Amino acid sequence: MPHKPLTRAALLIYGIVTLVVLYVPILAVTFASFSKARYLSFPIKRYTSEWYGKALESSTVADLISTSLKVAIIVMLISVVLGFFGALAFARYRWRFRGVFQKFVLLPIFFPQTVLGLALLMWFNAIDVIPTWQTAVIAHLVWIAPIATLIIAIRAYSFDPALEEAARDMGASYWQILREITLPLLWPGVVSAGLFAFLLSWGNFPLSLFTTGADLTLPEWLYAKMVSGYSPLVPSVGSLTVLFSLLLILLGLAFVWWSGRRRQAMLARGGEET
Amino acid sequence: MERIEERQGLLSALPILVMMALAFLAPLLVVAAFSFMPPKVFDLAHLPSFENFRVFVEQGYYASLLWSLGMAFVATVVLFLLCYPLAYGMAKVFGRFSLVITIGVVVTLFVSENIRLFGWVLTLMKGGMLLGHLKAWTGLELDGLLYNVPIIVLGLAYAYFPFMLFPLAQGIAMVPDDVRQAASDLGASRARILWEIDLPLAMPGIMVGSLLTFVLAAGAMAESKLLGGQAVIVMADEIETAFTYGQNWPLGSALALILIVIIGALAVFALSRIDLDGIMGRRR
Amino acid sequence: MAAQVVLRLEGVTKRFGSFTALDDITLDIADGEFLTIVGPSGSGKTTMIRLLVGMDAPSQGEIYLSGERITHVPANKRPTCMVFQSLALFPHRTVGQNIEFPLKIKGVAQARRRKRAHELLELLRLPADYYAKGVMQCSGGERQRVALARALAFDPEILFFDEPLSALDYRLRKTLEKELKDLHRKTGKTFVYITHSLEEAMVMSDRIAIMRAGRIVQTGSAAEIYNTPGSRFVAEFMGEVNLFDVEGGEEGTFRASDGAMSVGGGRLDLAKGERATLMVRPEFVRFLADGEAADCSFQGELHNEFSLGSRIQYEVALPDGRTVTVEKLGEDRYAGGYGDHVTLGFDLASSHLIRED
Repeated sequence: MPHKPLTRAALLIYGIVTLVVLYVPILAVTFASFSKARYLSFPIKRYTSEWYGKALESSTVADLISTSLKVAIIVMLISVVLGFFGALAFARYRWRFRGVFQKFVLLPIFFPQTVLGLALLMWFNAIDVIPTWQTAVIAHLVWIAPIATLIIAIRAYSFDPALEEAARDMGASYWQILREITLPLLWPGVVSAGLFAFLLSWGNFPLSLFTTGADLTLPEWLYAKMVSGYSPLVPSVGSLTVLFSLLLILLGLAFVWWSGRRRQAMLARGGEET
Repeated sequence: MERIEERQGLLSALPILVMMALAFLAPLLVVAAFSFMPPKVFDLAHLPSFENFRVFVEQGYYASLLWSLGMAFVATVVLFLLCYPLAYGMAKVFGRFSLVITIGVVVTLFVSENIRLFGWVLTLMKGGMLLGHLKAWTGLELDGLLYNVPIIVLGLAYAYFPFMLFPLAQGIAMVPDDVRQAASDLGASRARILWEIDLPLAMPGIMVGSLLTFVLAAGAMAESKLLGGQAVIVMADEIETAFTYGQNWPLGSALALILIVIIGALAVFALSRIDLDGIMGRRR
Repeated sequence: MAAQVVLRLEGVTKRFGSFTALDDITLDIADGEFLTIVGPSGSGKTTMIRLLVGMDAPSQGEIYLSGERITHVPANKRPTCMVFQSLALFPHRTVGQNIEFPLKIKGVAQARRRKRAHELLELLRLPADYYAKGVMQCSGGERQRVALARALAFDPEILFFDEPLSALDYRLRKTLEKELKDLHRKTGKTFVYITHSLEEAMVMSDRIAIMRAGRIVQTGSAAEIYNTPGSRFVAEFMGEVNLFDVEGGEEGTFRASDGAMSVGGGRLDLAKGERATLMVRPEFVRFLADGEAADCSFQGELHNEFSLGSRIQYEVALPDGRTVTVEKLGEDRYAGGYGDHVTLGFDLASSHLIRED
């Protein structure tokens, strides 16, 4: 249905305003991180970048970053593997319990994360596991692996099952099909699932809260400082984590662009390697 | 070969199922078990008791539950109204610009919820980004906009914006253009098309979006703590307090169980009515 | 059939729950023949090809390949290959990589793979520089050829086709049908083709098997099935047809059971009281001039006239409301117009008697 230019313009403006509003708090944090005053008030009178220097020198912050990174990288790797096979069971294969499986896998996404974290804490206590950053990995997986599954499943839905059948018909084994057909075709989904998994773990707070034990992740430390014992490092550390996420997203987008180009180039010269 | 797919399906599902059995089902069972323990014990070797549920009713914890559910409901309605025009634009009007919006919205998801809410605190507090500048430019001095119920609801709407927007856009995209065109040719007004065509056909997306928002908002805590101060205490907050300051795991478990049962029942009910394959675009 | 049997189905039945998709099928496929299995959708032909290829196993019965039982051998262990309806070309691979895929799986060295791929490109009349082209950049017809080349690279004992031409436009389909027949002759392989299009079956195949509701109702050459169908279903499935209920009288005389047709002197092989169906194709029905005689004749009103290019088709309504179809070559065009009362007739020699139980 044709839309009147006025409708179109109004919707566009609405969209842009919404986007701007979404970024207001991030902007506020960034502004605050450059304020010289120990206690914030706007308008900012004197700007400085000294808090960034302090944050980067601080060994606490270094520890926080290393813990958060460890957790996020391991969560990413495991989620991608679980999600890849999970997505095949979710979208590709016809099997008896597929419908039940789909709903079960999505269930944790609907659960309050704080409650999930507490439940895990009690479970770890019941089986005598002392919470550390490793247990936080498990907590993150409960919520993030289903999301990875969902993202790869979207890709798997647009995949013609006849491709696998054709490969099998020509004598390919299960693992050959996986390597030659399924994985290359689902690869873009796998990459974005990995990116999502990393970023969601990197920024997650409610799941970490009860499951990291004595270890602290960046979001936990930020929350602790926001609720009590404010530190002027909060805005700068917050901005740094945002910046890091943005860099990763840009890298991800660049990868998407680059792999598209590479595919074109490979097809253009008919590359030998597979 | 359906026998092969039967086996491959099960085998592929197995890794994530094992993970979820160990890290999702088992903990929930522990919660359920603890909720029937006498107050303030830290193991399960006691006779079952309903004491915690009595406390829930008698000590007014249900008020927190009602606040949680009520604010989640209002946030869901507000979000639906806010998101519908944008989702419609993304699905039917914007074309390539939808991608910009999608990326723009997704990126905010990757910034820790804490930091974003903290940003709102900085924006809305007395002498914050908004009021501080207002005062500097106009001399008008206002008290902070924080620490009340409406701001918590807005915080919830802000935090769960993407969870309403994307399912809604997906749902509206599923409404075939030619059906709308046909309705228009048959003389239906825009409002009529919205009511008779768009809303019913986009219902799966609307359901998914509303469910996600409601459920996530009902279990949320950070919004009420950071933006709401002590204005109200929500259910998730009570649960946390029972575990931490209260050192009363059974009470915390009982409160958690009540929340889980409500949310779980809603999620299972809605999920069972949704054709996931249809929404996600299965080819065969 | 003189040639050796390469594939044999014995009492093959396939059930899905309470639904019987294939019902006790027995069929021999001769080495080197081009067999087409035709049936309307839901007749079980897709289930059939899945069993033949090994993507599914029958509930009952056995399948033998060159005398060896292969009923439960999965697709990747069978020396047969299928061209899929969707073609199933690998979108992330070039034309060359697609064609070489089965060779790669077999572990053939790269130089030999490449040589074979180029031979196949030539056999299928694709330019050699297509080797490096992405399959998604190829046109519909080119993709068909790539899919064929890939299947031939596998060097299967039998090549199966699951309606690969159904998505193409009419002209391209016609060209490829002829090329396929040509390819069959050149390669000498056994082709088993599945389609719902009778036209396709008639153009290409040595032998046609017609399926209905999970059973094979008739097999034979295109001419046999067209001229002497064994049932009303086959007669109607094989193009336009006029069917009349007849009943036997004394010594081979007969009458039309519903009285719409007047019968001259002819005799049919019918016992007294036996009921059967008399079939006559539209091209054998004539417009009778005054005083002209035929074995069977009837009167009606000309209702419709359609041009079929070289031929013209007429619909004549009988007094009881039924329609009789007549086809004439352009030069034999009927001179009158709509609404004319006409007399039609045909001879028993150009009709066929269908007896059903």
